[in-house]
Amino acid sequence: MTPNAASASSGPSRRSFLASTAVATAAVAGGMPLLSACGGSDSGSRDGTTSDKDAKKILPAYVASNVVTPDIPSKNGSSMGFTAKLDVDTLKTSVAKKLGKGGKVTIMSPFWGSPPKQNNPYYTSMNDLIGVDVQWRNQDGNTYDQKLGAVLASSDVPDVVVVPGWNMMGKIPSAIISKFADLGPYLSGDKVKEYPNLAAIPSDAWQRSIFGGKLMGLPMPAPSVPTIAPLYRQDIFDKEGYEVPQSADEFMALCKDITNARAKRWACGDMKWTAFNTFSVLGGGEKPLWWNLVDGKLINRIETQEYLEAIEWTRKLFAAGVVHPDFELGKSQATDPAPKFAAGEFLIWNNNIVNWYGQQASQATQNPDFKVWGMDIWGHDGGDPTLYAANPAGIFAFVNKKASESVIRDVLAVANVTAAPYGTKEWMMTNYGVEGTHYTIKDGIPVKNDKGNNEVLNAYVMVASPAATTAHPDLPDYTKAMVEWERRMGGFTKKSAFWGLQITEPSRYTNLANDFEQLEDDIIRGRKKISDMQQAVSDWKNKGGDKLRDWYKKILDENGSAAN
Amino acid sequence: MSHSTVPRSRAEAKKKSPTQTPAASGGTTGPGDQKASGKLSLRLRFRRDRVLLLMTLPVVLLVLVFNYIPILGNVIAFQEYDPYISDNGVISILNSPFVGLENFQRIFEDSAFWNAVQNTLILFFLQLVLFFPIPILVALLINSVVRPRVRAVAQAVLYLPHFFSWVLVIAVFQQLFGGAGVLSQLLRENGYDGINIMTNPDTFPLLITAQSVWKDAGWGIIVFLAALASVSPDLYEAAAMDGAGRWRRMWHVTLPALRPVIALLLVLRVGDALTVGFEQILLQRDAVGPGAGEVLDTFVWWNGVRNQDFSYAAAAGLVKGVISLGLVLAANKVAHLMGEQGVYKK
Repeated sequence: MTPNAASASSGPSRRSFLASTAVATAAVAGGMPLLSACGGSDSGSRDGTTSDKDAKKILPAYVASNVVTPDIPSKNGSSMGFTAKLDVDTLKTSVAKKLGKGGKVTIMSPFWGSPPKQNNPYYTSMNDLIGVDVQWRNQDGNTYDQKLGAVLASSDVPDVVVVPGWNMMGKIPSAIISKFADLGPYLSGDKVKEYPNLAAIPSDAWQRSIFGGKLMGLPMPAPSVPTIAPLYRQDIFDKEGYEVPQSADEFMALCKDITNARAKRWACGDMKWTAFNTFSVLGGGEKPLWWNLVDGKLINRIETQEYLEAIEWTRKLFAAGVVHPDFELGKSQATDPAPKFAAGEFLIWNNNIVNWYGQQASQATQNPDFKVWGMDIWGHDGGDPTLYAANPAGIFAFVNKKASESVIRDVLAVANVTAAPYGTKEWMMTNYGVEGTHYTIKDGIPVKNDKGNNEVLNAYVMVASPAATTAHPDLPDYTKAMVEWERRMGGFTKKSAFWGLQITEPSRYTNLANDFEQLEDDIIRGRKKISDMQQAVSDWKNKGGDKLRDWYKKILDENGSAAN
Repeated sequence: MSHSTVPRSRAEAKKKSPTQTPAASGGTTGPGDQKASGKLSLRLRFRRDRVLLLMTLPVVLLVLVFNYIPILGNVIAFQEYDPYISDNGVISILNSPFVGLENFQRIFEDSAFWNAVQNTLILFFLQLVLFFPIPILVALLINSVVRPRVRAVAQAVLYLPHFFSWVLVIAVFQQLFGGAGVLSQLLRENGYDGINIMTNPDTFPLLITAQSVWKDAGWGIIVFLAALASVSPDLYEAAAMDGAGRWRRMWHVTLPALRPVIALLLVLRVGDALTVGFEQILLQRDAVGPGAGEVLDTFVWWNGVRNQDFSYAAAAGLVKGVISLGLVLAANKVAHLMGEQGVYKK
């Protein structure tokens, strides 16, 4: 799976929250012309969304790729899994001839971990394979939102900028619309067939890449299952005889059982995202997913009882002292939790599901007993959970509007290689690097070495990816468990009203809800009270929340609801 | 400067021809001429000092380009500025609509802003009381060390933390004083509850001050040491001859020598009162929440850079600038009243 490289060593960052996400078809019914100014008088001209009908005119044609049949096909919006042994010698070629024309392309992208040197063997051999001289400008992924605005406001925008959906706050969406190039002339309809791997990207991922009525993004498709999994140390659970909890109360009791601060052991990390899932809070990192139609009225998640309950439950975990103290630092966490998880300082860590594999792989050599597994998401009352679907693409690469046609063609050449499906030479190079340098074949299985783990990380996988794929030839059991987890959780997953649409809010409302995440964290850590949240919600309504509700209602009336 | 500013002797002074203009004599004039220069016309003074003026020109240009011209950008505080209209910032400014004082009105109604002001002032006063005197004390201490080798080593050790990045300093503090840090574990091993100093909003200002002291108190002694070095040993000897003890020598010789420097730094510090350590606080803001961790600079950063509400942030920055200016003027006035030079004098 592609995003795994990105977050192997990061904490449960914002990216983990969303990096994962949907498949299945865009269920946006109805159809109205381009909603270029549907907010009425108090909105600019860049807000709104693009209806299904208009989207059809600009979406690239879909041509499925049949390089390797998945062992576990996608179901309920999960990714597809490949568990069979990969024969490295008979890999297929999906890019018949080098499309790159040797130009230079600068790409700014979020990076989780320590970036390798420019011109390292991974970058140079990828560039050789593509035929483009890609220069990476990697930026810290956890604080990417703080740099993006400044870079986009400057006159020195790189040729390509990678923007995760959860960083599209404030005026970023309007910046995307005014600063980046329309890729429609190169990709719409049959034109995409020049780039067969891009043509194999599912249409709903492309639909999410439409900004301001134009096809602008090169998407990273994602499963629609909310893929924050409560990961736990199965080896220690087995040794101590702990049982995997099935309800909020059981979880709390287990945590109290586990915690022994004197022995430097705590039960869990910050479980907020798991709480949102177990309490059925509307969600996804993007604000349009916070809305849903309840009894004919649009409700934002911050107005719901479930939201308050989830926060309160997480607060109790902190108050009970079962959370590792490092997590009290919130987002500013000075230290990486991964080594503490590996050391058994805490046993349960909600994290992107890709880290299920990532944590296991990173400990494989020095810690043979280490075994991480994922808990199924429970319903808070012990019943089945109700989960809300995440969007079918969460990360996009955009091309600078000022880029010449040759640069755009070179970027598409890059994307055509990085989007190569599992089982091809291009996939292998993108995800594992060069044989002998970054990985070695042991018993027919590619295993990354330290150089591979340091260099083959983020970067190229951020540009465009094949349909959501989970494939870890070195740990097939984990691949299977992860895909099955997604398939099971996908069975409990519903779509909310605006699922699958790329919506740009009117600029005067974009910052309205920015402070809620901070407030959640303040309450959870005991610095603010639930009543402060209720006050904030009523302020939000007065300051424009109710108007925003009307604005969304119009979009809903014109496009229909995606909810199921 | 190679030119002598004061005639070395009466004879040298006499050599100057009375008809020669001061500028032609090369360089500034001695104190004796100051009265006369007051009467000279502006043009004459320009002519006289043209060499000096030429020499300052590059710096003036730099200040103009990098400090004064950007000030014009503050106009966005009165606009609803959209930086993404154009690639050129100037064009973006020209095309953004004016909204008058709306942003300022929003600021004055924004409780988050006043919270930031309050936190900033608390930190400032705390640092003034707890941080400011420490470099002076350390400088006095170092100055009293006689053996040069011990002194050099001590100075090096004290300067070193200044060169560590804040990220590193905070990580070290976290390892020592965090909830799972050395101190907490030590307490737990001995049967007490652990304490998490790093995430306690109530003691946050003290934590910030302690970090600043650890990192920069050593660096701060440099200016004081320089001032101490300029005190003539004769004064100490004379005082000792008169029977002054250690403390009296410090009170009557050392401290008066330091007084102008202390006053100058104090005025400068007050001018910077609302700037209390952006990087250090931004890194720890989330650990205690904005309630305790938001200061004016992080407020501006958060609203401008992160939320892209540049106009709002610019307005907040302007308010900060105006308050800072008032503080500098007031502090300078106080310095004058105390008989010190301060930052400038009319």
